[in-house]
Amino acid sequence: MKDATQKSLDELLAELPRDIVPPRHLWRGISGRLNATPRRARPLVYALAAGIACACVASALTWAVLHGRATSPAAALTARAANFDEPRNPRYIAAREDLEVDFHERLKLLDPATRARIEASLEVIRRAHEDIRKALASDPASPVLEQLWESTWHDELDLYDHVVRATQPAMTRT
Amino acid sequence: MGTVQMLQGAGGMDAAAEPTELIAAAVGGDMRAFEHLYRQFSPRVYGLCLRLTGQREAAEDCTQDSFVAAWRALAGFEQRSRFSTWLHRIAVHSVLARRRGLRIDYEVPEPAAGLPDRADPAAEGPPLDLERAIARLPDGARHVLVLVGLYGFSHAEAAHALGVAEGTCKAQLHRARGLLTAALGLEN
Repeated sequence: MKDATQKSLDELLAELPRDIVPPRHLWRGISGRLNATPRRARPLVYALAAGIACACVASALTWAVLHGRATSPAAALTARAANFDEPRNPRYIAAREDLEVDFHERLKLLDPATRARIEASLEVIRRAHEDIRKALASDPASPVLEQLWESTWHDELDLYDHVVRATQPAMTRT
Repeated sequence: MGTVQMLQGAGGMDAAAEPTELIAAAVGGDMRAFEHLYRQFSPRVYGLCLRLTGQREAAEDCTQDSFVAAWRALAGFEQRSRFSTWLHRIAVHSVLARRRGLRIDYEVPEPAAGLPDRADPAAEGPPLDLERAIARLPDGARHVLVLVGLYGFSHAEAAHALGVAEGTCKAQLHRARGLLTAALGLEN
């Protein structure tokens, strides 16, 4: 495998992610503006979004593992965390920590193989988050890095959410 | 799996297949279908806007503008081009329109004056360095590099979208590549 200095510019460009997950509040603003436009005569009733799409392969993998295990929501706790947009918000941090505690408790309910895959996914997310944090430390004004950093932050939250939701019935039975 | 490989999977779309049923439903006025299209395509649009504008707030505004404009124009979308291509053109127009209207000043230094040394290349990896270097390119060079070098526009498409001559587009790409090569210490 080539190291960084051996790669050509084209190879480096090809490695850049084309997709950057936008902040979650964007759709709310868009839908509000769409409802105000005259194009559509018949307004549609929205169901609340069932969940935020996984933003990375790791959490998508985890979701695939857990999908179908359960439908009972841990919605109240999750919504409480997801409503805070700023990762540095103390209230957001507190809600997130609550969710993380639940996540670790629910993780113990899963079979060892599933638990191992989830922990591996979490490690990937955290490592990515840390890599980007280091890059941000040397370039704090980069909006791209900042957005990537927040995306991985949210990926971790999504992973907690999926596990808490998927293990809800098992928790209820015990 | 590395950081970049993981993030490349973030909301990515299959280049070979487009969600034709969703597109058709949205063209017919189904807003829920359009929301699904938003969830599928917004990471690419946002990435494009973020790299073109260099500012998060501007990128968010442009992404919103793009999808609102797309919704309004969808009834006339005849699927002679790919939906993603059509949407990306709208995004570029949104960025340029906003820039013309608000005269955004990019707060990034010239490439030769301020690219940080890479203290820990193993930890940070080349893509993040490259991201920084791209952000520091002069506007014209960055725009062409982002459109042609990253998002697959042809020179003709990029020139048309940016309102410059195709020759200018090629020259700006050459300039961008030279600046990036020098900034990253790559061999020509």
